[in-house]
Amino acid sequence: MQAESDYSFALMGGRVKSERSLPMRSTVNWTVLGLVIEHSSYGFELWKRYEREYGDMAPNVSGSNIYAALNVLKDKGLIEERVETRKAPDGAARLRKSHYRATQEGLVAYEGWVIAQAREHDRRSRQFARQLGAFERQPQIALAILERYGQACLDDKDARIPTTAQFPSPVTPELGDQLASAYGREVKAATLGWIEYARRKFEALASKETPLP
Amino acid sequence: MSLLELRRVSRFHTRGSRRVEVLREASLEIDAGELVAVWGLRRSGRSTLLAVAAGVDPPDAGEVLFEGADLNARGTTALGNGIGYCRPIAGRPGGRSVIEDVCAGLLARGVPPLDAQSRAQRALERVGVEPCSELASGELDAAETMRVAIACTLVFGPRLLVIDEPTKGVDLLDRDEIILLLRSLANSGIAVLVSDGDGSGLSDADRSLSLAGGLLRGKTSPELSTVVPLARAGGRITAA
Repeated sequence: MQAESDYSFALMGGRVKSERSLPMRSTVNWTVLGLVIEHSSYGFELWKRYEREYGDMAPNVSGSNIYAALNVLKDKGLIEERVETRKAPDGAARLRKSHYRATQEGLVAYEGWVIAQAREHDRRSRQFARQLGAFERQPQIALAILERYGQACLDDKDARIPTTAQFPSPVTPELGDQLASAYGREVKAATLGWIEYARRKFEALASKETPLP
Repeated sequence: MSLLELRRVSRFHTRGSRRVEVLREASLEIDAGELVAVWGLRRSGRSTLLAVAAGVDPPDAGEVLFEGADLNARGTTALGNGIGYCRPIAGRPGGRSVIEDVCAGLLARGVPPLDAQSRAQRALERVGVEPCSELASGELDAAETMRVAIACTLVFGPRLLVIDEPTKGVDLLDRDEIILLLRSLANSGIAVLVSDGDGSGLSDADRSLSLAGGLLRGKTSPELSTVVPLARAGGRITAA
């Protein structure tokens, strides 16, 4: 468990003693670590999987970004590389191929990052709800915001149930795709419920509004 | 002309001396091949909206048109003649077998028993519960019960299917399959209107609407939708 305490120290902003303990802020790096944990694999396959699973959320990530992320993860000891050599088809040269798999330290670090992300998401959602309260004296503005937010929520198709038909054969929906879509649907229903609560609060305020003298 | 059209429909309930407006001039259009979901909290009026849309309950004001005809005009009986309607019921009779349940409506309309049996069998296969055909209805779980209820309407070849809370009481992991079944029915050309209390079907619907305080919000007409249903796009529609 030494690895976990070293890492936590870095996350909390402690004095940096080495490159290995520098906090890792890049979402791409963390996402690539998640992909390696999901299936240990080769750089090219990880890049393709990144595009398929996260391309809509984090576009414009190139193959070189993925290889750079793998290097950072390796330097930090979160993944390990195993170089495989094979004879080329012509038998003349040997092909080198790097295979990456997560270390125990990488698994622990990723777990901490995922939980931190979920907390950050909750914090931002509550922040938005609190900020809407600034319109206590202008309830009509808040109602207009809620109307647009509600419409966007109803129109959002990101949480569609993943089906085999949406994926090129022989790829089937990953567990991550299914979890993400189920999360989106549950959040959508909860958000619509919250919008209705907020709408009623602001409608009550609007009905008490007195015209300016 | 849309397959189903609600024009400024209002509906009132009385609670003691109080008169509650459950639907306030709700307008809605649905085309063939569309899956439309209406989200609402409990007691929001979502079940009332669906009952009115299916012609089960008449509106207190406004019109409901199915294929251009007023559903509430004298002599109009669209239920079973183009419209199928399912709603959750508490407790099912346990005596009859599933296949008998599905056949019952056909036999009551004078369909010969062998023909009724064959149509019921096909409907059960279509909704994925053919292995349950000899079970007693009371032995089914919530997801199977909903599938059988849908089969009971499919035997009449509906062009519009109205389903109140298709995932109510259904196990979390079975909900996706129910929604995908509804999606495939819509893809085969049937218009499907569902109510939704848990958000299960909102993302897979062509249009999602919300109902609160008697007001229907969202894209209430196919023209406003960003997703063009297969039937409207002229694409090849095949039964899944």
